[in-house]
Amino acid sequence: MYDVAIVGAGPAGSTLARICAKNGLNVIMFEKKKEVGNPVRCGEALGKVELINQNLELPKECYSLEVRGAKLYPPNKANPLVIEEGGYVLERKFFDKWLAELATKEGAKLKVYHKVEDVKVRKNHYTLNVKHGGRKAFEVDAKVVVSAEGMEALIARKLGFPTVHKPYDVDTCYEYEVIPYEHEEMIELYFGNEIAPRGYVWIFPKKDKKANVGVGVGGHITTNTKRGNLKGADPKYYLDKFMEEHEQLRNSSTLLDFGGVISVGAPLKSFVKGRALVIGTAAKQVDPIHGGGIALAMQAGYIAGEALVKAFKNKKLEESFLKKEYEEKWKSINSNKLQKRLVLRKVMERLGDDDLNFIFKELNKEELHNITKENFAPAVKKLIMKRPSLIKVLSALIS
Amino acid sequence: MIVIDHDGCIVCVGCSSVCPTSAISYEGNRMKVYPDKCIDCSICVRVCPADVIEMFKGVKSLKELEEEKAKKLI
Repeated sequence: MYDVAIVGAGPAGSTLARICAKNGLNVIMFEKKKEVGNPVRCGEALGKVELINQNLELPKECYSLEVRGAKLYPPNKANPLVIEEGGYVLERKFFDKWLAELATKEGAKLKVYHKVEDVKVRKNHYTLNVKHGGRKAFEVDAKVVVSAEGMEALIARKLGFPTVHKPYDVDTCYEYEVIPYEHEEMIELYFGNEIAPRGYVWIFPKKDKKANVGVGVGGHITTNTKRGNLKGADPKYYLDKFMEEHEQLRNSSTLLDFGGVISVGAPLKSFVKGRALVIGTAAKQVDPIHGGGIALAMQAGYIAGEALVKAFKNKKLEESFLKKEYEEKWKSINSNKLQKRLVLRKVMERLGDDDLNFIFKELNKEELHNITKENFAPAVKKLIMKRPSLIKVLSALIS
Repeated sequence: MIVIDHDGCIVCVGCSSVCPTSAISYEGNRMKVYPDKCIDCSICVRVCPADVIEMFKGVKSLKELEEEKAKKLI
């Protein structure tokens, strides 16, 4: 019988495994893919804060480039706003593996190409049904089960968490790795209803003149007719259009072609049920503005890991204790912030291109800094003074 | 029911994460469809970034699908 069984060896699962194993718990982690971190399904950008918080030094092979900040472009592509905050463009393939290795070094057990097919709730433990490749499924018992499954979250669903996404709360994405691309070691983001309805185009620079160029569009937005004569969101269409209109990208080659879906809604109401936990993207712990989830996932893994260690040590392996130590702690750090950012996302999707151009032109550095810290009032006041028609949309930010 | 073109599928699990009835799941490195669970809501088709899911409304199994296709050919 294991103490903790983790489903998924992404940043969330590996972080939790590391913390638990370090403190003497018997941990097993299952990854359905044949290789940790591969194939990549991510834009691969990460801020520095969470790595510093966890006292982790990122090895050189885990990132492609250290970036100086981000440039945000309005629909007319003039007057970009600049945010100066250092970060990394990762090589997720190596990054995920590195985090998993750290966990195994502490004593956690990891099995790849093992898919957890089903979970049964017993009286004092859980029984997982695990399948290795095409072989017959076998059973694994654990006192605690943690879903760190990411978007799909099927085991979390089976445990009773409402992890099904609504199209309105997802962005459907497509991305190319391109070469060559001359960049300024800055992340570039492009906004606009023509460019990417309810989303944005990103250019994440990488070393050797490479870059990840991708787009996310609202999953509910109907654009063109798909197979079966249904209307659907088509991120590839927007990405190709953007590339065609971009002077440099028009002639560049693609090295990698892939897509995915990201959550941009609110987190689950509850992350704990009995002795089952959900962490990371499976719990929809994702930034609703940019869809980034790596930092939040690592943070959740850390907090939940510490909660489990405490619970085992004090023999308080019960829902109320785990709720207090993990869920409430996580929420006290993030809820307020994410809620405000969700409102900002909803406001941004209601703004027309003309208004967006105006706002980007008017905002100064200090106001932008305030917005990134969820302090909207000063900027909103100024914008409404200059263009009163904005009051209808922007008032949601200060109420 | 839906049919996924596995050659074009990028295995992003977008379809299965929005499927309200868990009729799609990731198994053995590809997406697997359970036609009997499908309720023809078409959310997966709308969300699929690779545009590889096709919807056949009212069809409940692969066998039926073959029959439908045969009918069309006649």
